[in-house]
Amino acid sequence: MILVEQQMSKLNLKRTLKLNKFYFNSLFKSILFPTVIIYFITVGFVFPQDCKLDFEGYIISSDSGLPLEAAVVEVIGTNYNAISSENGYFNFKNLCSEIIEIRVSHINCPDFYAEINLKESRKKKFFLDHEITTLNEVVLIDEKVDDLSTSAKSYLVSEIEKDRYSGSGLSALLETVSGVNTLSTGSNIAKPVIHGMFGSRVGIIYNGIMLENQQWGQDHAPNVDLNAFENVKLVKGASVLKYSGKNPGGVIILKSSIPRKIDSLYGKTILNVNSNGAGGSIVSTWVKTYENGTYLKTQGTFKKSGDLSAPRYILSNTGMNENNLSFTYGKNNIGNSLKIFFSYFNSEIGVLKSSHIGNIKDLLRAIEDDEPDVANEFSYNINYPKQSNEHFTSSVDYTHIINDNKELTFKYSWQINNRKEYDLRIGDFKNIPSLDLNLSTHSVNSSYTWSNFSNEFTNGIFFGVKDNYSTPGTGVKRLIPDYLNTNLGGYFISTLNLNEDLNFGFGLRYEHSSSDVYKYYRNSRWENESYQDRLGEFVIDEVLSQKLIRKKVVFNTFSSNTGFVKEFEKKYSLSIQHNYTERAPNIAEMFSGGLHHSLASIEYGDPFLKKEKTHKVLVDFEKKNSKLNYRINPYLSYSKDYILAQPAGFEQTIRGAFPVWEYSPITSIFKGVDFDIIYKIKDNVRLKNSISWVEAKDYHTDEHLVNIPPLVINNEVQFSLGEFKKFNAIIGNKFVNKQNLFPNNNSITTVIENGKKIDKIVDISTPPNGFNQLSLNFNWGPYKINSSIVNFSLSIDNVMNRAYRSYLNRLRFYSDEVGRNFLFQIKIKH
Amino acid sequence: MFKSTYFKAALLSSILLFISCDKDDAPEAENEMEVFTKAIIKVTNLSDDSSETYDFEVEEHDHDHDHGVLVQNQEGDDHGDHTEIELESGSEYKFEISFLNESDPNNVIDMTDEVIEEKDEHHVFYELAGDGISYATMSGDTLDSDGNALNLVTKWTTTTETVVEVEAYLIHQPTSKVGTTRDDFGGATDVEIEFEAHVEAE
Repeated sequence: MILVEQQMSKLNLKRTLKLNKFYFNSLFKSILFPTVIIYFITVGFVFPQDCKLDFEGYIISSDSGLPLEAAVVEVIGTNYNAISSENGYFNFKNLCSEIIEIRVSHINCPDFYAEINLKESRKKKFFLDHEITTLNEVVLIDEKVDDLSTSAKSYLVSEIEKDRYSGSGLSALLETVSGVNTLSTGSNIAKPVIHGMFGSRVGIIYNGIMLENQQWGQDHAPNVDLNAFENVKLVKGASVLKYSGKNPGGVIILKSSIPRKIDSLYGKTILNVNSNGAGGSIVSTWVKTYENGTYLKTQGTFKKSGDLSAPRYILSNTGMNENNLSFTYGKNNIGNSLKIFFSYFNSEIGVLKSSHIGNIKDLLRAIEDDEPDVANEFSYNINYPKQSNEHFTSSVDYTHIINDNKELTFKYSWQINNRKEYDLRIGDFKNIPSLDLNLSTHSVNSSYTWSNFSNEFTNGIFFGVKDNYSTPGTGVKRLIPDYLNTNLGGYFISTLNLNEDLNFGFGLRYEHSSSDVYKYYRNSRWENESYQDRLGEFVIDEVLSQKLIRKKVVFNTFSSNTGFVKEFEKKYSLSIQHNYTERAPNIAEMFSGGLHHSLASIEYGDPFLKKEKTHKVLVDFEKKNSKLNYRINPYLSYSKDYILAQPAGFEQTIRGAFPVWEYSPITSIFKGVDFDIIYKIKDNVRLKNSISWVEAKDYHTDEHLVNIPPLVINNEVQFSLGEFKKFNAIIGNKFVNKQNLFPNNNSITTVIENGKKIDKIVDISTPPNGFNQLSLNFNWGPYKINSSIVNFSLSIDNVMNRAYRSYLNRLRFYSDEVGRNFLFQIKIKH
Repeated sequence: MFKSTYFKAALLSSILLFISCDKDDAPEAENEMEVFTKAIIKVTNLSDDSSETYDFEVEEHDHDHDHGVLVQNQEGDDHGDHTEIELESGSEYKFEISFLNESDPNNVIDMTDEVIEEKDEHHVFYELAGDGISYATMSGDTLDSDGNALNLVTKWTTTTETVVEVEAYLIHQPTSKVGTTRDDFGGATDVEIEFEAHVEAE
């Protein structure tokens, strides 16, 4: 389920205050709630004599863990009913000692039934699932629980969807949203693409911290475990200026929820078992809360998989292991709150054996062969080539509430990233990684928010230091040079509720970034590019046919978001946004230099790149709150100095020929549209369709850009069955069209065939054919077993076991995508 | 209250800015350690034991900055003049191929030793575009643990006058050590050189 919310009129601060101020709740309980109870009690019911038992409890949304207000609780067959209060509380008095049947109904949820054997007065929590009625639904409600301060629409991925993808990762989860695709390197490395943009143009923010390794290239997946966070949110096509100003693609926000101030211990465990790869994962989260506002949360994810299989063969060396742990300590007081967060992420990912090739002729052979070179027996072993990643984060958050409408926050975070890439090497270097990158980041930011009844303003300052360092001794030249980056800046964000139906938002962010870069250039490259004229003054050392330069690279960037949201007749909403983004080129784009084994290509940065400037206009029109709901979201973006890797000739060595790709600036134009529609045929049947289309071109040459997602159409039928609606199913079909708009980046090489030398085209450009992918998902539950709530589900992906290749997989030349997979999931809420 | 905290944060930030802008240590240079930079073929005439050595060193850059060219019409490996190996018809020759890493002139590494050490993972294959020449392993060659010859030392037999273009490959982790075309061997190409074998009448 995806909730579309509007954060324009964000008054969450007030909500936070309410939560923090416990007296408010007690006030509610003490005055309002008894009134309700008295009302129901007095609705003419005659009490038998032996009926003196109390039954009380809380109604809690199992999606968000938050209390559900206005749920109707009935004792079936009697006149007893109650409505849950703001904190989810309900209460019945004078019930008889018998087995009673309870029905809980809520406007957004299916009816929930429970049998209670009432022998004495009892207290009980009911978890209401949004699952059945709102599976995958774009629920159009005004959620004001956010603090993004942008008038851009955001999508909240429900806990149910999140849990469904708990074993497959962030990119797979987000791909369920229209306009989001996945750029992958093989089967285990994936990064999200939003509106055709990826990498540095898509921000990932977790607990208010910008994930800092996105600039390490396309074959690097974000090192973050989605299971560590309760909320996954997506803003398409806009930066969230509070965190970053350089994401014209969009931003993914992962956030933990704040536990309530009660004495409680609760948790959730998910067990996933996959047939393909004979792997699985365990995700477990435990939260201990205290009435004084202190809480402790600990979470772990352990994942293991062996070689995956395509329909016709085993994908050798595609196993993976992942171990993640996180720990949170928090304290919520009335006037302030503190949160300390640690997380550790570790993954070891096998890379398809056959994708390690020597030169362009090997690539040609791979393209011409239908099957990969190597298909060994299934194994859990991860051999070379492989990647191993480590990511450590710690952060401290402090919020001080000055009064009802003023809040001050302070945050410090420290991230350490390490990535090692192991290739098939020879001799003494066999077990030494060819790439060993370290990035350590410290950042400090502070913000001040003030609001009045309808408007809210935030400003803030930030400062950060990034140290990127390659462990020497790898025997391979550094892909990304060592550098130290310092950034400093500030932002201002305002959201104005002009009237009940019209909200206006404006934000501005300035950032100063300065990098001290040490880069070795090979003399041959230096001469070829005539760098002497422009970089000669920065040379500080010369060794072994290499020149070391030290250069300070400074960028000042401004970004702004402006937009409004207008509601009509409570049914329609229209939002128009203009976002201006300035993005400083990242160090890889300016200074990288290295060989990509899987593409047999050499990649070079351009040290003279300018900042990338993007104007983006987004329109979002939606119809909601009816049987047929839809939203349509066209967008257009125009970028000057858009940085793109483009083919730039060849390098010839005794290892063979290698195409050269260089980052270079173009003027780009992206246009696209995302479309979602949901039709509720009946209470228990609904149809869902989403379409995403994007086209990207070089504005001057009219040539299409590489790796732009093709047209994708998703169709789903969702239905639920059974007396207590404890079964539901989703039948889904994903159609991915062949990408017909692509640039020609082919090259020609000479090979010997039938005793003659002939020229052959190395066709790396032509996208693979389109495909249909059928998937099934069955869910049973929730069942109550002792004090736990248990759900079961079975999902089948690629039901027809179809062999297909995906244009957005960089290893598509080597093998088909993975075949059929059965995923069995048990979810237990403790 | 808020102001003082706010100013403290700002002050802290600016102090940090001034103390940490520079990266202090220059990184040490990284050498390409397992790279092949040179291949040598020593050709010995088995009838008179006369020999000649051919060096293969390629380092070329053909950079094209006109982006948007539909097909990069560059013939990857047809650059420069071909090395010609002169042979006589109706003769037998010993070809010994060896490999060096000279990226650090002060520390030249003989990569042939590494190939021999990892004999199970390497294979040399000569792909011939034309008839009139054949080659096979000969004494002095290295055998892997399955008894397959690596083709580091081969005997070349010529018949008639001809010119044959030859591609020589050092293949890492071949999927097979038997075959007649490059395709049959799979694996990753570590070295790829080419020459023309000129067979002339005696």
